[in-house]
Amino acid sequence: MPILAVEGVTKRFGPNEVLKNVTLSLDAQEIRAICGENGAGKSTLVKIFTGVHTTDDGAVLVDGKPTEIASPQRAQELGIALVAQELSLAPALSVLDNIWLGNREVPLFHRRKVLRERARAALEKVGLGDLSLDTPVATLSIGRRQLVELARMLTRDARVFILDEPTATLSDVEIERIFNALRALKAEGKSIIYITHRLGEVFEVCDTVSVLRNGELVGTRRTAEIDRAHLMQMMLGRSMGEMYPRWESKPGRPMLTVKNLHVPPVVQNFNLVADQGNVVCLAGQVGSGAIEVLRALAGLVPDATGEVSVMERPVRLRSVSKAQAAKVQFISEDRAGEGVFLRLHVGQNLVATRLADHSQLGILARQGLRATAEKLAAAAGVDRARLHSMADELSGGNQQKLAFGRAIGDDEPGVLLMNEPTRGVDVGARAEIYRLIRQFCDRGYCLVMASSDIEEVLGMADVIVSMYRGRQIATYRRGEADVHRVLADITHPVAAA
Amino acid sequence: MSDVSLRTRFRLGGARARHLVLAVRIVAGSAIALFALSTPGFTSPLSINALLNAISFIGCVAVGMTFITLTGNIMSLCLGATVSASALIFLASLSFGILPAFLIAILFGVVITAAQGLLVGFFRANPILVSIAGLSLLIGGAALATGGQRVYPGGEGLQVFKGRVAGIPVEALYFFATVVIGQFILSWTRIGRVMVMVGSNPRAAYAAGVGPAMAVTVAYVIAGACSAVSGVLLAARYGSGDMELGTGYDYTAIAAVLVGGTAIQGGSGSVVRTLIGVTVIAIIEVVLLLRGFSQQLQYLITGVIVLAVIMLHTIGERR
Repeated sequence: MPILAVEGVTKRFGPNEVLKNVTLSLDAQEIRAICGENGAGKSTLVKIFTGVHTTDDGAVLVDGKPTEIASPQRAQELGIALVAQELSLAPALSVLDNIWLGNREVPLFHRRKVLRERARAALEKVGLGDLSLDTPVATLSIGRRQLVELARMLTRDARVFILDEPTATLSDVEIERIFNALRALKAEGKSIIYITHRLGEVFEVCDTVSVLRNGELVGTRRTAEIDRAHLMQMMLGRSMGEMYPRWESKPGRPMLTVKNLHVPPVVQNFNLVADQGNVVCLAGQVGSGAIEVLRALAGLVPDATGEVSVMERPVRLRSVSKAQAAKVQFISEDRAGEGVFLRLHVGQNLVATRLADHSQLGILARQGLRATAEKLAAAAGVDRARLHSMADELSGGNQQKLAFGRAIGDDEPGVLLMNEPTRGVDVGARAEIYRLIRQFCDRGYCLVMASSDIEEVLGMADVIVSMYRGRQIATYRRGEADVHRVLADITHPVAAA
Repeated sequence: MSDVSLRTRFRLGGARARHLVLAVRIVAGSAIALFALSTPGFTSPLSINALLNAISFIGCVAVGMTFITLTGNIMSLCLGATVSASALIFLASLSFGILPAFLIAILFGVVITAAQGLLVGFFRANPILVSIAGLSLLIGGAALATGGQRVYPGGEGLQVFKGRVAGIPVEALYFFATVVIGQFILSWTRIGRVMVMVGSNPRAAYAAGVGPAMAVTVAYVIAGACSAVSGVLLAARYGSGDMELGTGYDYTAIAAVLVGGTAIQGGSGSVVRTLIGVTVIAIIEVVLLLRGFSQQLQYLITGVIVLAVIMLHTIGERR
């Protein structure tokens, strides 16, 4: 008997039907992936399971009985636990305190030994047996915090664990830990709903996959019975062709030269020559220093040192405006935090770095600005009709195109620095961004990107530089590397010291 | 209906939430207008005059406050004291002539707030704390300098800042000029655009290399200059001054900024909106006065309106 199911569920927000007649069911000991592009209805479905939204039509069944999950508290009582993207742990408290935080079994004053033992047992199940219960959560990595959260749900006797893109900000090693924890939970008889953008993970850890598109269920399949291309076609409603563009890789003339770059406290003695028309990928996990290298080159790290030159002209580090003057533009992975002005218009976002070119004595030439915004929108594939929309009304993929449009000029090509170019971008928009990257490289740009997604690195790079804990491990030209070598490099490099 | 689903019901998408907020504003605005026009005596020259005067003194400070709010620094608690202090400086330096006295007063206001702007912009100091420190320094400094006595004009020429031209109070003309200059800076200059960007997302502004610290400092400079204008107008009107002159102006000014619809978290708003906010608050106060409500009740009602506006924004901005 299915442990959790929805039958004919429909959910409307005003005139929009975000879920249309969705029926699916989850068995005990099943790991179910739910895939779909942004806006397909995944999050709404999760919110129905966890009592945040109620259904407009159809029924939710728990243990085969129609049940109304009217509130998150009720969901918890029913054993449905959400492991959210934004973690709900209190960083200043210890692991033990966090595990029992908000649990009604805990007496007011007494800290009983049995609580420690049960917390210890839960941690062991999720693979954190080595962790001291008194460690403050703030000192743990994001991946470990997620595991602590899983342990916390275990102590609450959750039966269904819902994970909403748990790996978006994790490195590969940490992802593997999460997977192991999920397999252990499954062996315990628990069920898991796993929401993800990364198709590789579906096949690696999930038994079955349900695909949503525009609020409708496209279908549910066993992962053993389908392949990647099939899954992608289900998500997009059309065949994808190729995710990555095809091109002929050839060296160009050196555009960006980096010597002896130090970015305290992580990166030491980083050297790089990036050619015009090439995509150089710094492959590394969180903590490898890849992201920090790009931030330093963008002028955003105040204590970085080293010699950098663009087209043989030296560029001063530690100043964003000096970097921009040398035609070095940075596209942040943290779009909401530092990439895009969410509450400004799309047009204003596009010209944000170009105000100086369109003003005299501090007075703006507004017509020139508008024309430039239109030109940049066209170049980056942003719909012109949306120039007057607020940036926060765009999807993740369109925001990334916006950030891209801001970084490119309409004159001579320069160096683009991109951290995690497709984080939080759905599959369809992802291919478009890859095409844009290639297109601008063909126009003579040089693109350096940091990425923890090995598939993306192999698909896009002319040159791959693998990094581990602030050191460069190896450099490959296109075709020289494969998944296993790069993965080995960035996780536990052999004889690299 | 559980309270959870009620809450999510309010959590609308960006564009729809904005439309809803706009609709509520229009309805509320029309209600206030109807209420005002149906009040006997509201359209009399005397009450219009009182309205214009009330708008002008507070309005200048509110225009200045708009820049501080817009750059993401919430508000300054020091602007009221800046109004008073620059009024005193103006009166004391009248012996140099009216224009030099005016310029000295503006310069004084600018120096006071520029110092705070530097701290907030370049050293990322907490804007509220900095403004409280500024307030204490001004009050203490003024007490030392004046010995607690009222300050009387040291020269002639106050007429330039009072009376009327073509039936309009001169104070109102200075205020409208402040609005026009303020809005020009905001929409037509580079530094104005940068201020909006900084308020919208300071980290993104830094990453875009547009020099956020400078923009914040300039915003404070403008706030100081606007407050000083208000101080000069007040000094001219009353013919003497003390540190009580601008008391409470910072609160009324921030109320006007918010009622006008400038976002408290910065990044969205305008001087023209503040003009509307100031006008709405002044109309309500005049109407309450005409209908015979007490001063205390006026404060109370203004407080309720500001709270309502903040609630409206919280609903509109929530995702």
